[in-house]
Amino acid sequence: MQSAGTSGGKNLFQAQNIPGGSLLKPFPSLLLLTPVLLPFLAATGAAAQQAQSAPTDLVLKNATVMTASHGTIQNCSVWVHAGKIAAVGTTVDAPSSAVVVDATGKWLTPGIIDPHSHSALDSDVNEATSPVTPSMMMIDAFDNRDAALYQALAGGVTTELLLHGSANMIGGQAVVIKNKFGLSRDAMLFPNAPRSIKFASGENPKRVYGSRNQLPSTRMGNFEIMRQSFENAKSYMATWDAYNAKVAKGDKTATAPKVDLKLEALADVLRGKLYVQIHCYRADEFLTEEAIAHEYGYKIRAFHHALEMYKVADKIAPENTAIATFTDWWGFKDEAWDAIPWNAVMSMRKGVRVALKSDSNDHIRRLNQEAGKMVHYGGATEDEAIRMVTLNPAWIIGVDDRTGSIDVGKDADLVIWNVDPLSTYARAEKVYIDGDLFFDNSTPGFGTPHFSGVMHEATGFGNDDSEGFNDEGGN
Amino acid sequence: MKIHMNMCTKVQSLLLLSGLIAAVSLPAQTTGKKQTLAITGGKLLTVSHGTIENGTLLIADGKIIAVGVAGKVTVPKDATIIDARGLTVYPGLIDPDTTLGLVEVGSDQNSTDTSEASDEIMPHMHVADAFHAETELIPVARLNGVTNAVVAPGTDDSVAGQDIFIQLAGKTRDDMILGRDVALAMNFGADQRRRGGRGGGRGEFPSTRMGLITQLRQNLMDAQHYEATKLEAQKKPEKSADMTSDKSVEKSGDKTEKPFERDLKMEALLPYLHGERPVVIGVYEAYDVETIMKVAQEFHLKVILNHVTRTQEILDEIAAYKVPVIVGPIYELPRANERFDAVYTLPAELAKRGVKIAISSGEAGGPGGAHTVRNLPYSAGFAAAYGLPYDEALKAITLNVAEMFGFGDKLGSLDVGKTANVVLANGDPLDVRTDVKQVFIDGVSQPLVSRQTRLRDEYSK
Repeated sequence: MQSAGTSGGKNLFQAQNIPGGSLLKPFPSLLLLTPVLLPFLAATGAAAQQAQSAPTDLVLKNATVMTASHGTIQNCSVWVHAGKIAAVGTTVDAPSSAVVVDATGKWLTPGIIDPHSHSALDSDVNEATSPVTPSMMMIDAFDNRDAALYQALAGGVTTELLLHGSANMIGGQAVVIKNKFGLSRDAMLFPNAPRSIKFASGENPKRVYGSRNQLPSTRMGNFEIMRQSFENAKSYMATWDAYNAKVAKGDKTATAPKVDLKLEALADVLRGKLYVQIHCYRADEFLTEEAIAHEYGYKIRAFHHALEMYKVADKIAPENTAIATFTDWWGFKDEAWDAIPWNAVMSMRKGVRVALKSDSNDHIRRLNQEAGKMVHYGGATEDEAIRMVTLNPAWIIGVDDRTGSIDVGKDADLVIWNVDPLSTYARAEKVYIDGDLFFDNSTPGFGTPHFSGVMHEATGFGNDDSEGFNDEGGN
Repeated sequence: MKIHMNMCTKVQSLLLLSGLIAAVSLPAQTTGKKQTLAITGGKLLTVSHGTIENGTLLIADGKIIAVGVAGKVTVPKDATIIDARGLTVYPGLIDPDTTLGLVEVGSDQNSTDTSEASDEIMPHMHVADAFHAETELIPVARLNGVTNAVVAPGTDDSVAGQDIFIQLAGKTRDDMILGRDVALAMNFGADQRRRGGRGGGRGEFPSTRMGLITQLRQNLMDAQHYEATKLEAQKKPEKSADMTSDKSVEKSGDKTEKPFERDLKMEALLPYLHGERPVVIGVYEAYDVETIMKVAQEFHLKVILNHVTRTQEILDEIAAYKVPVIVGPIYELPRANERFDAVYTLPAELAKRGVKIAISSGEAGGPGGAHTVRNLPYSAGFAAAYGLPYDEALKAITLNVAEMFGFGDKLGSLDVGKTANVVLANGDPLDVRTDVKQVFIDGVSQPLVSRQTRLRDEYSK
């Protein structure tokens, strides 16, 4: 079939940098390629990068640098060239033309990354009209003027995974943004980020549909819906395979089957072209989810919430499935009753890759302090703690080769803090994305060099617990 | 030692009549309690009189009996020494606004008793009647050094009910409730218009702010009228009693007049109309503050303002009210087009204007004011990060709260004569990285266990 055959591995990406780079415009001809491409073309748009006002060379000088990948370095400078990290060390060989920011006495970290946000989606978090909606594209609801983005930016957040809610067993496809608040919608998309899809499980789907006397109303119904969906996808793929085989043999009479956006998206899960991000709380459900993934041959990138991972971390670690968890939220519903704040560190010690996430327009503003709590709950080292909100969430999103640590060649997504970012007293002073300054606490007003307009009021609190259909989703 | 405050004679006598109140006593004396404890070598954050770097704190019979610099305090020979070198010692934290004991599993109606939302005016709802002392949430909060809290009803109603002041230790409810009906919980703003057509409401009165205020004012006036009628009725039997002490004659008196009937709802409002106890008014928007304060002043209510997170434009006005304020939660979201730190800086801005502030543990959109109590110190620390002087931040979760709710002589600081609610931690109590090492309540060391630590330990094996 075409999408599988022609675009190959590239399908995995929220492709913005289709060869042609800066000349890219919305190509009418692209739209003709195949309807299958439509969903993520919508996600892509045109990479109309605004003119960079950032200096070509920038040196953040003499800070305590938490690299997230290779420890914390005192009296360290970072040289940024053309938006990328060019050097990290006690001395750097930057040209004399470089703009130098004295960060003496300050702390420097990679930009904070939130792998689970529903910010900037107005109240369009859940298409809660069917338990299987894999062709929903969150980009279609992305409001780049939402105040929640600004408030997160001021908390040092540079990258977010904006996810569908948890009303549906198989929800929609996420959008990855760089928090370049003030730039155009397209310029805020993370170029070439992998595509992710949101799955859910447990109480939310069974409550949403059960309350309407529909399937699913139990966990049995939940998982059966998933299995049936993948059976449908396999059948769909087989139909296309048969057609493609005929075409390959030169059969001119072969009729192309109908392209079905929903089944196409499910097929992409089975083809490994979508990172599977699963909202899941209970230990038994992690095991069931992994079993189903094995049965149908896809990988689970991360369990989100994952509050009971500490019970089965040794079983999940070999699967290379990460978790994106709350630090200390608990007790808000039955499946959060066994939540303990030591979950993250205990799971990490058993070999699970652990990220902290917000699922909240509130917490997203202070994920650094959520990381600080991990020193308290379980004795994480500061390097381990900062990794939980930088490099590890970058891995979950699939952009850890580009951001999430202070390493040469990576995007210059950097935050200068007044004190140790894991402390209660930490404030983000300057936030750089791709080497460009997007937040500066020392300037009056919003402190946003690229934004001076009118923000939109965020809807609800940025979790699934918003208005209308969304409050049926829950956290 | 009797901590229970007899601050509410009228309502209490009423409740005694109804058989609703049990005698409030303190936790049973444990063997450890009689013994003198000496906490030595620690850094004492007294809250009331500064920091003592190398201090000694003596506890006997559940009270603090000495506080001072090492060497200046004589440690009795038989005292049990608690070595606090390298540790910070501070008074137990007090959360001014929680639903602890009114909710267990947030989504479960059966374990939730936060709001009696059948009417907006519910002053006769007593949190003491619903407080679940055995809640799993209390040990969780205690682990981070919270030893006391004000438990208030949910915020659905204009007048939601009467708060209790609790201690986070004790075998029974009566051990834990230090004061019942310590304050009247009120709310004003958009959320109380729930009967209106909005959001699936029933389209009934009151559906607007006008309706809410009219309804409130009418009820307060009704209570005043009720009291006048009651006083009048009380005079009449006295007259007949003058005539004869014979009961049968008394009964055969004026048969045309109905005997005075107690109205518990009206009764409940009287102590507050007399200004005997505070009303805590939950209100967010500046213009709502101005509206509700007019009513409060009209009826001479003794006000504590709560929340005020969207009042940046009237901070001087709030200061001029000369009322204490529970600011926040500090994590409430600012409005769009406000600077990101508009709420973060509020405690500092109000304190700068001379307002006595307290800080609560709530979060925006999170699990709510019962499950997050353990984060109380971090809320205060966050206020310090945004300009509130450190000492004021600590005071906002200790002494100020005690004073606002009538426990200033018993709790909230390390002072001689106060209840020995004392916490030992390995660093700054307001920092998220700090571990609490020991918690004393009434001078008794509390086990640092909760359902959560038991789960942790079970799965760490």
